[in-house]
Amino acid sequence: MEIRKLSGALGLRTKIALVALVLLVIPWVGYSYVNAMERLLRQNQEQQLSAMARAVATALQDRPQLMGLRAAAPAGGRPPPAGILSEQMQILLAGLARAGLRIWVIDSKLSLIGTAGDLGAPPPAADETITFGPVERAVRAALRPVFERFLERPVRPAEEFIPNDVVFGGREVERAIDGATTLRRRPAPSGHGVILSVAHPVWVGDTVVGAVVVEENTDAIVSMRNRAFEQLVAVTLISFAAAALVLLLFASRLSWRLRRLRNEAENAIDSQGRVRNLAAGEHARDEIGDLSRSFSTVLERLAQYNAYLENMAGRLAHELRTPIAVVRSSLDNLRLQQPGGETGVYVTRAEEGVKRLETILTRMAEATRLEQVVRSGERERFEVQTVLAGCVEGYAMAYPGRRFKLAMTEEPVSLRGAPDLFAQMLDKLAANAADFSAGEAPVEISLQRTSTEVVLRFSNSGPPLPAEMKNRLFESMVSVRKDRPAGDPHLGLGLYIVRLIAEFHGGLASASNRADRNGVVVELRFPATA
Amino acid sequence: MRRRIAIVEDDPAIRANYADALGKHGYEVAAYGDRVSALAAFRTRTPDLVLLDIGLGDEVDGGFTLCRELRTLSGTLPIIFLTARDSDFDAVSGLRMGADDYVTKNVSLPHLLARVSALFRRADAAHAPAQGESVLARGPLTLDLNRFAVSWRGKGVDLTLTEFWLVHALVKFPGHVKNREQLMGEAHVVVDDSTITSHVKRVRRKFEAVDAQFDRIDTVYGMGYRWKSEN
Repeated sequence: MEIRKLSGALGLRTKIALVALVLLVIPWVGYSYVNAMERLLRQNQEQQLSAMARAVATALQDRPQLMGLRAAAPAGGRPPPAGILSEQMQILLAGLARAGLRIWVIDSKLSLIGTAGDLGAPPPAADETITFGPVERAVRAALRPVFERFLERPVRPAEEFIPNDVVFGGREVERAIDGATTLRRRPAPSGHGVILSVAHPVWVGDTVVGAVVVEENTDAIVSMRNRAFEQLVAVTLISFAAAALVLLLFASRLSWRLRRLRNEAENAIDSQGRVRNLAAGEHARDEIGDLSRSFSTVLERLAQYNAYLENMAGRLAHELRTPIAVVRSSLDNLRLQQPGGETGVYVTRAEEGVKRLETILTRMAEATRLEQVVRSGERERFEVQTVLAGCVEGYAMAYPGRRFKLAMTEEPVSLRGAPDLFAQMLDKLAANAADFSAGEAPVEISLQRTSTEVVLRFSNSGPPLPAEMKNRLFESMVSVRKDRPAGDPHLGLGLYIVRLIAEFHGGLASASNRADRNGVVVELRFPATA
Repeated sequence: MRRRIAIVEDDPAIRANYADALGKHGYEVAAYGDRVSALAAFRTRTPDLVLLDIGLGDEVDGGFTLCRELRTLSGTLPIIFLTARDSDFDAVSGLRMGADDYVTKNVSLPHLLARVSALFRRADAAHAPAQGESVLARGPLTLDLNRFAVSWRGKGVDLTLTEFWLVHALVKFPGHVKNREQLMGEAHVVVDDSTITSHVKRVRRKFEAVDAQFDRIDTVYGMGYRWKSEN
C-alpha cells in the first residue's frame, strides 16, 4: 500500500531512473565472482605450498644426515663435517625457494637447521594480466581514495628474520613436530598482509625428526583481486552511468510529450465550452501518438455533439412551428365560428397554452437567429456609455421591484460592433441579475476602462453559483434556475446569447461568485479600441 | 366579385384551416399541396392573392421557385410568404423574389386576415386617386394609408406591409418612444426582439437608399425606437 502510494506520487522519469537501479546487480555478481576467483587462487597457493613442503620433507627423509642425525649415518663411514651438511641443505632449499617464498627447516628441538628465500622479495607483477582502457583509468583514478579506504592494500611483509614466536610458538610448527601437516595463515609482523605457512613433518622411521616450513605471502593474490575489483567497479559505474543517462533522456522525452498532451487535453475545452483539437503527437506513430489521435477523435465527437446541442433549439423550434400553427389556426377558426359561448373558456385556455408554447419557441429560435446575425457580422463604432445609460434607464421601468446602480468611467469608451446587439446582451444580463438578486440590494453595474481592456460587470446579491456550473453557464441550454415561475419559461439561453454577443465584440464572458459569497458577478472583458 | 385567394401549403391541416377561415370571410379559396399543381392552375387562372409556403413537400425552396414563376405571370399580384422558417436570410430572399410580405406561421388568423385585406386595399387604391384624409404627412415624409405607399422627399420608398406598419406606428406620434412589443402589435406580428431589430434595420436601409442622409429613426437603447421630428 505504502509502496503503491509512493510510486503513484513519483514521476515517470524518477520511476524509470529507479528501474535503472536493477543494474546494480551487476557489481554484486561481479563481486561474488572475484571472491570465488580469489578463493580458487588461495586454494591453489595452499596446494602448491603443501606440495612443496611435502617434497622437501621427502627429500630430507632420504637424507637424514642433513637433519643432523648421526644415528642414521651409514655404518662405518665418518659423518661429514657440519659445514658441508649445512651447505648441502642450503643448496637443496635454495633450489626450491623463489621470490616471496621462504623455506626453513627445524629439527625436533625447534632449532633452525636451514633457511632459504625471502618473503620480502617482489611478487611477480600482475599488471599485464588485467589491462585498463583510458575511461576506466580515469574512473579508477577518480575512485582511488575510495579504493584505498576500503580495499586492503598488498604490503610486502619485510620480514628479515623468522620471528621467534613463529618458531617457538607457531601452532603449525608444533603440530608438525607432533606429526601432522598443518596450514596456517598468520598476519605479517608489520601488521599488514597475511602470510600463508605450511609445516610438514620430516619422518625418519616412526619418529618425527624435524619439520619443513614453507611460507609465502599472499600479496600477489590480494593485489590481483584488488585490480579485478577496481576494474569491475569502474566498468560497472561507467555502464551504469551510461544506461542511466540514456534512460533518463528517454524518460524525459516521454514525460515531456505526455505533459504536453496533458496540457493540451486540459485546455481542449475552454471556459466557453468550445472544443479545440490536439496538436501534440499527432504524427507520432507510437502509443502516445495513438492516445493523442484517439483523444482528438473523442474531442471531435464532443464538438459535433456540442454543435448538435447548440443547433437543437433552433431546429426544434422550426419543427414545432408547423404543428403549433395547426393548433393555433384551429383555435382561431373555432373562435371565429362561435364567439364566446360555453366552449369559449376552453378555447381561451388552449390559446394561452399555445401562446406559452410560442414564447418558448421564440426564445429557442432567438439564439439561432442571433448566431446568423453574428455570422453576417456588420460592425460599427459606438459609444458604450450611451447604450449602457439608455438601457439601465429602461430597466428601472422594466423591473419596478429592482434597483439598478450604474457606475461608469468618465472617459469615453467605444467599441466596434453592433449597438443593437450590445443592448440585447445588456437586456439578458439585466434579466439574469434581476431574476437572481435577492433582498433590497441593488444590481450594481460598472463600466471600467484600462489601457488594454473595457470591463463591464453586473453584480447582484443572491445565492452563489454551484461550483460545477461556473464554467458551463455560458453554454446553450444550461440553467441553474430551480424554481421557474409558470408562464415564464427559462431555457438557459440567456447567458449563451450574452456569450455570442460578447464574442461578436471580441470579448470574453465569465461568471464568478462575489468575494463574500453573497452574490454573483458576471464579467465581460473587451479589448479596448483606440 | 368575390376575391380569389390561392393557398399553396403542403401541410393539409394548416391548408384546410386557413382555407376555412378565409372562406368564412367571404373570399373564394383555392388550395394546393404542391408547386406543380398550383402552377398549372395559376396558368389557367391567376388568383387575386397568393399565400405561399417556402418548403413544399420534397422541394425545400419550392415556394421561392413558385414565387419567381408567379412574378413572370403577373407583376402586381400580391404574394405573402407564410412559412415556418424565420431566419433573416429566408425573409430577405423571399422579399427579393418579389413577395409583398413575409410572415411566420405563428401569425394568428386575425393578423393574417388583416394583412390580406390590407393588401387588397392597396391593390384597389392603386387604381383610384389618393384621398386627402388617408395621407399622413410628416415633413418630408408622406404615408398613404390606403395604398400603403411611403415617400421621402418626394421619392417613393418600397416597403413591405410589415415595414409600412412599423413606420406608421413610429410616425403617428413623432418623438414618442415605441418599444418592441408595441411595434409588434401595430405591425400585426408576433416575433422576437431581434426580428424587430432587423426589420427596423431594413427600413432604415430602404430610406437610406433614397436619401443617404436619412437618420430619423432613432434607437433608444433599452426602450425602443422613435421617429425624430424635424430638427
